[in-house]
Amino acid sequence: MTALSLSLVVPWAAGLVLALLDGRRRLVGWVAVCVLGANLGALVVLAAAVLPDDPVVVTTGNWPAGVGITLRADALGVLFALLSSLALLSATVFEVLEGVRERTFPGLVVLLAAGLTGVFVTGDLFNFYVFFELAMTAGYVLATYGGGRRELGAALVFTTVNLLGTFIFLLSVAGVYHVTGTLEMSGIAARMDEVDANAAVLLAAGFFVAFSVKLGLFPFHFWLPTVYTGARPAVAAILSGGLANIGAYGLLRFGGELLPGELDLAAGALIVIGSASILYGGVLAVSRRTASEMLAYSAIGQVGYVLVAIGVGGPVGFAAAILYTVVNALNKTLLFLTAQMRGALAGATFALGALSVAGVPPAAGFVGKLELFRATAGSPALVALFVLGSALSFVYAFQTYQYDFWRGERRGRRSSAPSRASSPRSRSSSSRWACGRSRCSR
Amino acid sequence: MSLLFALAAAVLFGTGAYLLLDRDLVRVVFGVVLVSQAAVLTLVASGLTRGAAPIYPLSRGPVSDPLSQAMALTAIVIGLAVTALLLVLVLRVVQAYRSEELAEVAVREAEREARLERLHEREHAEEEAAAR
Repeated sequence: MTALSLSLVVPWAAGLVLALLDGRRRLVGWVAVCVLGANLGALVVLAAAVLPDDPVVVTTGNWPAGVGITLRADALGVLFALLSSLALLSATVFEVLEGVRERTFPGLVVLLAAGLTGVFVTGDLFNFYVFFELAMTAGYVLATYGGGRRELGAALVFTTVNLLGTFIFLLSVAGVYHVTGTLEMSGIAARMDEVDANAAVLLAAGFFVAFSVKLGLFPFHFWLPTVYTGARPAVAAILSGGLANIGAYGLLRFGGELLPGELDLAAGALIVIGSASILYGGVLAVSRRTASEMLAYSAIGQVGYVLVAIGVGGPVGFAAAILYTVVNALNKTLLFLTAQMRGALAGATFALGALSVAGVPPAAGFVGKLELFRATAGSPALVALFVLGSALSFVYAFQTYQYDFWRGERRGRRSSAPSRASSPRSRSSSSRWACGRSRCSR
Repeated sequence: MSLLFALAAAVLFGTGAYLLLDRDLVRVVFGVVLVSQAAVLTLVASGLTRGAAPIYPLSRGPVSDPLSQAMALTAIVIGLAVTALLLVLVLRVVQAYRSEELAEVAVREAEREARLERLHEREHAEEEAAAR
């Protein structure tokens, strides 16, 4: 109970203070890392309490149940909160080691952690929207991080499209309140059966569109490549490893718990959209040369697996979807952070992430893929699709690995070019970036 | 009354969506504002009861639903904040690209992409040659 409050209040209060300080100073950066670590620690304690027993429920302000706003941490929410917190922590450590460039960065990441934790542990529909918007707003500002033209253009696209998504979500929230008369998630789940079927389908469609935009599923993906390639590596890792989890969580929570009838109804459509996403993401990722573009399209493909698993449904399908989301978020954080680095260690880490994306046994991705195959064992078409998708991901991940990491070494051996970018020991992405730009302008 | 609310929200959302498709960045911001107002209006309309203002001491007659009004108020505040953020973002984009037109921003981006693509082609060709 204390852990739940702490995991929310600590980053919130610290974020406000950090936002006022100059984040370019190393000390402030490390304070932000400590706060994120404290958030992660509180969530681990909370998870230890939640996983063996029942969910932890807190009604804020000691109001009687049903009147006050509830915070409700169950296994699904805590798992996603842990995952996002871990992604934010690693990206922040990376960026602080690199050297933070803008004063607002540490404060914004900590506020984003507060928003994400809130989204995953709230038991109230409208509070979900408020925390959602808190996290997204921090994300919008983070997307401009770096302040160059590309970052600004990407941030503008990101903000506009995702704002539209959040307002569609808000429309559905209003609808749910009107037809069920409550905002508490458990109450909504209980009352949804009596709601008129047409209204329920309309609300479910609104939620689906809102979360698909967030995830970047196939027909709603158009903003994603611009943003993930335009943003700096740490920000791309934060957006894909932390913020995108809201989409998967929302689909699982709203589809699996609040609107299970509508999810069954739409199962076929979800599987078709998910398959389209897998193929589109995979084929386009193969055709890309730069690592960040490959990762952006790969992100579109990878969430397709999650959607197919949700469409298959049932305990096995949901378990596969959750497991795959966890693995995917970890992969994306790892790959976005290492893609711009050079050197043997970074190369090995990238290769590990690439193996995980492809689902090859020693890496974590194998477990995710195995669960997916188990969930879809009954349908040969889906199994064939997964095999094709995995083959594509193997090709694109190692194509990029070969092109980026081996090329650096080959160049290094020739060592005729004195350019800093081609030096295999140049571990810092900033030097590579600066060099890439100067070469462009030549 | 519900029909009136529905029509007003639909018109707001439609106009907002149309403006969002515009190339002028300031119009895009107006589009987002209108869409947010459509959501706020829907929140107000989603109230379960209608009547007098829900302020203590309560009058005898029916009282309107305070929860949906509280939600609308929160949504208005959040909407204002994100609109301010979006305007600043547009301002910075305009300063960076010296253009208010989305099309020009897109053209510059496309030029940049083409340049990068050529660069990669050349690097690749060089490497092939070096490998041979």
